[in-house]
Amino acid sequence: MAEHARVYLRLAAASVRSTARRPAYLAARTVAAALIVAIEVAGVVLMLDRFGSIGGWRPPEVVLLFGLAFTAQGLALVFGDTLEADKMSELVRRGTFDQVLTRPASPLGWVVTSYVDTRFLGRMLAGAATVVWATDRAGVTWTPGRAGLAALAVACAAAIIFGVLLAAAGFTFVTVQASEAVNVFIYGGQYLASYPMQIYGSVLRFMFVWVVPLGLAIYVPALGVLGRQGPPGLPGWLAWLVAPVAGAFLALGGLAWRAGIRHYVGTGS
Amino acid sequence: MTNRVIEVEGLRKRFRTRRGPVEAVAGIDFQVRAGEFVGYAGPNGAGKSTTVKMMSGILLPSGGRVEVCGMVPYRERKRLARRMGVVFGQRTQLWWDLPLEESFELVGHLYRIPAAERVARLRRLEEVLALGPLLAVPVRSLSLGQRMRAELAAAVLPSPEVLFLDEPTIGLDVEAKAAVRDFLRELNRDEGTTVILTTHDLDDITRLCSRLMIIDHGRLIYDGSVEALRTAYGTTRVLVVDLAEDEPVQLAGAVLARAEGRRRWLEFARDEVSAAELIARLLAGHEVADLTLEEPDIEDIVRRIYRGETRPRR
Repeated sequence: MAEHARVYLRLAAASVRSTARRPAYLAARTVAAALIVAIEVAGVVLMLDRFGSIGGWRPPEVVLLFGLAFTAQGLALVFGDTLEADKMSELVRRGTFDQVLTRPASPLGWVVTSYVDTRFLGRMLAGAATVVWATDRAGVTWTPGRAGLAALAVACAAAIIFGVLLAAAGFTFVTVQASEAVNVFIYGGQYLASYPMQIYGSVLRFMFVWVVPLGLAIYVPALGVLGRQGPPGLPGWLAWLVAPVAGAFLALGGLAWRAGIRHYVGTGS
Repeated sequence: MTNRVIEVEGLRKRFRTRRGPVEAVAGIDFQVRAGEFVGYAGPNGAGKSTTVKMMSGILLPSGGRVEVCGMVPYRERKRLARRMGVVFGQRTQLWWDLPLEESFELVGHLYRIPAAERVARLRRLEEVLALGPLLAVPVRSLSLGQRMRAELAAAVLPSPEVLFLDEPTIGLDVEAKAAVRDFLRELNRDEGTTVILTTHDLDDITRLCSRLMIIDHGRLIYDGSVEALRTAYGTTRVLVVDLAEDEPVQLAGAVLARAEGRRRWLEFARDEVSAAELIARLLAGHEVADLTLEEPDIEDIVRRIYRGETRPRR
């Protein structure tokens, strides 16, 4: 197990080194990603300032939710960005995924560690900075319990996003290969660089990158971090459900991924 | 224990497409013994790469049986991966943006090659493939020929029992092709590595392979030695004659295909007349300065087979 982990760590390190061969590029990408977070946060703050508060939430309290969400997205996408439909279909189309399957490694482990994107490290760090800033402005005193809740929120939201990405990637195998099989016979095996199809709509995407993780994994723990009461009727024990729900998303995503691979290899049909 | 590295029996692969099912591989049988060097040829879309993908565990067969190194590829994909090497000519297995030596190091870790062994083996490969000066160069900056040598080194670094090669010489210049072929020949001879070479380049096959398999429309239409292919399919041989004087030539059993100065190209059918016989007839009536016998060109034969113009002679 430890040996496996070391191999994947080496792959991840190699993929970061690959980008680091062009340090300016690496830095620019990371900083730009962090700046985008800063701009989005500034936008939220400016907008909320006009209202003073929303449903009794002061601007820094709302910003905390965003900060936790940014951190979680960054964490999930550092590894999970390649699982996006367009990138997966590119791997399949170029035949790279075939090669992955000839390696003595788990395909998921390989894909996830071979294309680490430091942009999302920037997003993650900027998200964490946002959390620190927001809690400071909201007058939160950090306790081990609150830090634990914040970490729980980030980890669980990241798990949910990652689970959804996994499921989408699994689905990509089915759709891309269907068209690929057609191409092989119509164009004699030449890889066609036709544009990858968009698998899930932008509305759905918004739902799963923002609404679902925020609502399921971030909102409830954030109440604890801020020392706020939830709306009446929201039971306090809900916080205990966050981890199992996130785990379920991850597990379902994993199943979908495996089903996708089985389909790709041809065991599924 | 058998010394059969690959066993394929009634192997099929059907793809579902929008136009209905397509049978890419329609029931093929063959065995490959340890140490064989097999050329696998066929026109585009004939089922070559589908077969290779089934042998390497990338695709599950729709029917039939395939075993490589005693394993069912798709079921024991990872275990088999440790014992087989794969090189796809048009794609890279190396880490594109990193210096070449880092790729070798990663391969070493991936295939759990002890460091000392890796260093020793790499030293040999570097020498044979002239990789020394390239080690510090990022893979993306290598020329195609250099990269292909590096791909081969990476693929054989873990000492695979079977090596699947897909168009390893495509796009290479004469010198680079020769380097790749020399290396493969030595690898097969010295280490007994079984090699399956998929290629369009029949030169690769005639120079390297002890055995040739041709697939077309999902079926094996030829499986035998390259020489046997010549005798089975190549009916016409050519006697090239340099006459002492410029004079017309008429020979029973031969057709004048071309004439240029005092040189004549005389085509004759292998099963109608022997070369010895024909030469005797020629010498009886003409003074000859020199002559050579041209065997049918393998490329020509295979092209005619693809086009369906030639049937094997019984």
